Amino acid sequence: MTALRFAIGAALVAAWLALAWLLSGSAVPDGLELPHVDVSTVFGRALVARTERYERLLLVIWVLQALAMLGALAVWARFGGRYASESAAGPIGTGMLLGMLGLAIVWLVQLPFSLVALWWHRRHDVSHAGYLDTVFGGWAQLGVTFVALSVALLVVMGLARWLGSWWWIPGAAVLTGIVALVLLVSPYAYPGLERPNDPGLVARYDRLAREEGVSGIPLRVEKVSDTTSQANAFAFGLGPSRRVVLWDTLLDGRFGEREVDVVLAHELAHHSSYHLPKAIGWFALFALPGALLLTLATRSRGGMGEPLAIPLALLVAAAWMLVTSPAQNLVSRRDEAEADWKALSTTRDPEAARRLFRAFAATSLGDPSPPTWAYLFLETHPTLAQRVAMADAWAARNGVR
Amino acid sequence: MRRMSAPSPPHPVRLVVRDDLRRRRLTVFFRLLLALPQLVWATLFGTAAFMLAFVVWLAVLFERRAPASLHGFLAGYVRYTVHLTAYLCLAADPYPGFTGGKPYPVDVEIDPPAPQGRLGAAFRLLLALPAFALASSLAGSMAAGSSFGGSVGSAAGGLAITVGVLGWFAALARARMPRGMRDAAAFAIGYGAQTTAYALMLTDRYPDATPGKADPPPELPEHPVSIAIDRDRKRPRLLVLFRFPLVVPHLLWLTLWFVPVVLATVVAWVVALARGRVPGLLHRFVASFVRAVTHVSAFLLVVGRPFPGFLGREGSYPIDLTIAPAARQPRLGVLFRGFLLLPALLLSSAYGGVAFVAAVLGWCAALVTGRMPPSLRDLAGVSLRYQAQVTAYALLLTARYPDSSPALERPRPLELEAAPA
Repeated sequence: MTALRFAIGAALVAAWLALAWLLSGSAVPDGLELPHVDVSTVFGRALVARTERYERLLLVIWVLQALAMLGALAVWARFGGRYASESAAGPIGTGMLLGMLGLAIVWLVQLPFSLVALWWHRRHDVSHAGYLDTVFGGWAQLGVTFVALSVALLVVMGLARWLGSWWWIPGAAVLTGIVALVLLVSPYAYPGLERPNDPGLVARYDRLAREEGVSGIPLRVEKVSDTTSQANAFAFGLGPSRRVVLWDTLLDGRFGEREVDVVLAHELAHHSSYHLPKAIGWFALFALPGALLLTLATRSRGGMGEPLAIPLALLVAAAWMLVTSPAQNLVSRRDEAEADWKALSTTRDPEAARRLFRAFAATSLGDPSPPTWAYLFLETHPTLAQRVAMADAWAARNGVR
Repeated sequence: MRRMSAPSPPHPVRLVVRDDLRRRRLTVFFRLLLALPQLVWATLFGTAAFMLAFVVWLAVLFERRAPASLHGFLAGYVRYTVHLTAYLCLAADPYPGFTGGKPYPVDVEIDPPAPQGRLGAAFRLLLALPAFALASSLAGSMAAGSSFGGSVGSAAGGLAITVGVLGWFAALARARMPRGMRDAAAFAIGYGAQTTAYALMLTDRYPDATPGKADPPPELPEHPVSIAIDRDRKRPRLLVLFRFPLVVPHLLWLTLWFVPVVLATVVAWVVALARGRVPGLLHRFVASFVRAVTHVSAFLLVVGRPFPGFLGREGSYPIDLTIAPAARQPRLGVLFRGFLLLPALLLSSAYGGVAFVAAVLGWCAALVTGRMPPSLRDLAGVSLRYQAQVTAYALLLTARYPDSSPALERPRPLELEAAPA
């Protein structure tokens, strides 16, 4: 029996590693050495000092929020079971209630820190969101989070009650399927996306899309300028639902056409490099050991099929996500670096890329070179200094200035 | 050891109903026009009353008691608004007098002046705000309903106003007012009177929203769809605070479930037209849905304490619906069900407005005290019962028309036995 388990475990580890290797491919040349970038020279000493000041408090808030979350979930794991008597919903429904209340408590204990962060953003003119909007909007938005959690718990608890301690293998697969489904349909349900009304922008986008071999992906603009001055863009969707979305703050005149082209090419590169399907693969790779960990951790409470195990499972899941966030961020940064590289190859305009990243530091107050621990735990993108360095490296390789 | 709590004394403003439900078609047809002189007089009377109420307010602040003469004048005004509102809403038939001094089929008894607390008197209008909100959703007072929160009342149509509009057609057709609708209007009027009396310093007793408090109490005839309300008042604050986000998964689930329910109802409609009966399987499927909606609504409206299940199983929730098995239905009623449903839908919307206000007030109270005020719980419970009956009627679970009575439950056999002769 032990040998069988060992064999299954070894096979799973081997499969995991093989899949991770397959997903790790990148268009960034192997062994690319990024040149050193002097952030004070590139971004300016005053801006760097300002971004460091701005980020410092946000990092403190992040640490405090993480501690508050773990503390609240630890207390919930200890005492949350008492609320099982407040449910008339059967074991799975009771598990949903305990899970939702756990997240509600986390939201509640993190709320003061969120408000301090909002005050800080407003003070630096990065956010225009109101305090009441943040509180009541966050409260109402919990409903969406609760739906996602309820679906996940329905799958996990249903399988655990049916299959016992082996639920985690099909469970991870089903959850991955649900994530893929959400990714597929979310572009259709995403509110407030509009067609761009600048024909020149659309023409440039179409040209870039053709060059990257991903024609036919719609471009949309999201209006966020009433709540933030930060500039951003993103790519999402799968297959027919693929979209590229620009925040309207990118189009308010602070960024030139060439800089916007770099952003467009970067987002298109996410689609041309299949980063979103790959992200589903990575989700599966992280979900599998995570689900196994939940199985092992909740054995003392009867396993994931029992509602009383859910508060503990929340704590374990939160800790798992925190511990694995450096690895997940590493994956994300690889994809972002690849998108940057492909954007440079498409636009052949490293100077525009440099200007874009310098402008990001000024408009979003992102620290060009954050502390190492923050880089590991928080940065889903290469730092702005690394992105400028990549533009330099691409220019050096291709003989462009 | 459990303490026995003494029964609270009767409210100083009590609703008395002596109406025989008969209506003269001629006066019903011209009701609004006939009331025009009364409305002009009510405005003048009201202006004088509100000015004198300020004097009474000062008197209560200093003497802790309203002067008897002024109290009598204001009591007359409150009774007059009750008579006039009842006349307008068709809760009563005779043309009302102009002084409020004579008995009327829908009337209130008001106790003589009694000592009042100074602190409560000082902040009377502020304290009355929740009662005004509820009164305006009930729309049962010419005084209270028009003075505050008109938007709340008008959004739902106001219970008494809706009864008046629907009752106008019913009384014209049958020369009688349906008992349930008359009782609903009378309840709204009674609550409006208590709110006005509280605001005008006639009493320091807060208005009592408990449905069905009248002399005599309203009837609730037997109905194939009935509700049972658990009396537990405790509400854990954590579940109260996050009540709305907690039911979002239920709302999504019920929305998805509603699609096959509609399909099942269409099939049931065709079968019922052909056979005069809804198939048992479809009846049970749709009944589970109606029960699930009631469970979730009860939780959302803070009427129910625990988190509800998803499947609408009978007996699975403390606020539960009993739905009688499928029975024969007249084919004509089935054929025109959509048309027949319209009045009930209007009344259901008005009851929904009342339930919404009761739930918001109850939510605030439960968040502070950890308990749901029983009067608000029962009021929202009446709305749940009526809305469940409307849904059941719409989805062909029963041929019996919804009963708009403000009574919550039929008296239990034990209570009937214990009642004095």
